[in-house]
Amino acid sequence: MLKVKAGDLDKMALLFERYHRPLYGFLFHMTYQRETSEDLVQQVFYKMLKYRETFTATGEFVHWMYSIARNTLKDQGKSLKQRVKHENTDDHAERLSGGLTPEEQLERKQAKLGLYRAMEKLSDSHREVLTLSKFQELKYQEIAQILDISEIAVKTRAHRAMQELKSIYERAER
Amino acid sequence: MKCELYEGLFAGWINNELKPAERETLEQHLNGCAACREELASMQQLWAMMDEVEVPEPSASMKTDFTAMLNDFKAAEANKKGSSAGIRQQLGWLLQWRQKWPLAYTFAIVLVSFGCGYLFFNLKGGSKQDAQMAALTTQVHELKQTMALALLENPSASERIRGVSYTTEIKHADKEVIDALLATLNNDPNVNVRLSTLDALTHLAGHPEVRQGLVQSITTQDSPLMQSAIADVMLKLQEKSSVKSFKELLKQKDLDHGVRDKIKETITQLI
Repeated sequence: MLKVKAGDLDKMALLFERYHRPLYGFLFHMTYQRETSEDLVQQVFYKMLKYRETFTATGEFVHWMYSIARNTLKDQGKSLKQRVKHENTDDHAERLSGGLTPEEQLERKQAKLGLYRAMEKLSDSHREVLTLSKFQELKYQEIAQILDISEIAVKTRAHRAMQELKSIYERAER
Repeated sequence: MKCELYEGLFAGWINNELKPAERETLEQHLNGCAACREELASMQQLWAMMDEVEVPEPSASMKTDFTAMLNDFKAAEANKKGSSAGIRQQLGWLLQWRQKWPLAYTFAIVLVSFGCGYLFFNLKGGSKQDAQMAALTTQVHELKQTMALALLENPSASERIRGVSYTTEIKHADKEVIDALLATLNNDPNVNVRLSTLDALTHLAGHPEVRQGLVQSITTQDSPLMQSAIADVMLKLQEKSSVKSFKELLKQKDLDHGVRDKIKETITQLI
C-alpha cells in the first residue's frame, strides 16, 4: 500500500487480488446480498485509491481497509435496511449440501440454514464483531483498532454476540 | 463465584483470547461445574458450525470491474498531472481564476508596484535598473493582456466591456488580442459590448488586419446602432475598401431607414 501511496497505482491490483475475497466475505456477512457486496468491494477499493494519502505506514493495511469498509457500509446503511434481507437465503441454502446421506444432509442443511437465519437476525454491531473474529480471523486487539474501541469492549461485545446468536438459534430450533 | 461471571469468558476462551490467569480461573471452574461445561460445549459447537456457513463466490465481473475502475482512476490521475490532457481541469481552474480576477489583478499590480519601488530605490547602476524596469513593464503588459483576454470571455457584459477597455491600454496589441476583439465585435450578444469593442478597435486601426476585420464586419452587424457606428468609424478612417460592403448592406431589405440614409451619405463622402 505504501507503494500505491507513492504513486504506483498498479500495485493496487495486487492488493485487490490478495484482499478482495476476505473483504467480500465481510461485506457479505454484513449485508447478505451478493450484488450489494460486490458493489461495496468496488467502492472500498475506489476509496482506498482516492484517499491513499490517508494511509499511514504505522497501521496495518487490513485494519485500514476494514475501517473504510465500515464507513462505506455506514453510508449505505440506511438504504440497505429498506431492502429485503432474505432475498437469497433459500438460494444460498441450496449450495450448503455436502457429500452425506440424504437424511444427514437434510439435517445439516437445516441446522446450517437455522444458523444462517440466526446470523441474519443478529444486530449489526454483534454480527460485525463475530464476522471479524470468526471469518476474518482477526485478533481482539486488531478488531479493537478497526472498531476504535477498547480490547475489553471487544471481548464483552464478542461474548454478548455469541450469547445472542445462541439464543436466537436455539429459539428457532425449538 | 457465580456461573454468569464465568460465562463472560466463554467467547474469549473459544477465540483463544484469554489471559493465562483468566484461562486458569475459568478452567478451574469448569472442572467443578457441569452446567458451564455444557454451555461452553454448545457454544463451541455453534462457533464451529459457523465455519460451514459459506460465502458465495464473488462473480467474475468483480475483477473486470475493478480493473476498469483502476484504469479509469489512473487515467484521471494522469490528467490531473499532465498539463496538456487535463482540459476540463484547466477550464475549471480558469473559471475559478476569472471570478477572482479583479482582486488578483489589484493584488498583482500592488506587488509589481512594490517591486518597482524596491528596485528604484535600492538598486544602483542605471543600465541594470533600466533592464529590470523594462522587464517589469513587459510583465505588467503581459499581465494586462492576459487579463483582458480572460475578461472578454466573462459571462457578464459589464465585465466584458471592462476587458475591452483594458485592451486600449495595451500599447502593442498582438494578433491574439486583435483576434479576440474581432470575435467579440462579430459575435457578442450584447450591443454595448460590441460598441465598445468597435471603439477599441478604432484605436488599433493602424494594423491592416484590424481594418480588414472591420470592413468584413459591416455586413454581419444587424443592429442599426452598430451599423451607423461602424459607418462613422469608416468615415473617420477614410477606408475606401468599405464601400463595397456598405453597398451590399444597402441591398438588405429590412435595413433601418435612418441607417440607410446615413450609409448612402457615407458612401458619397468616401468616394
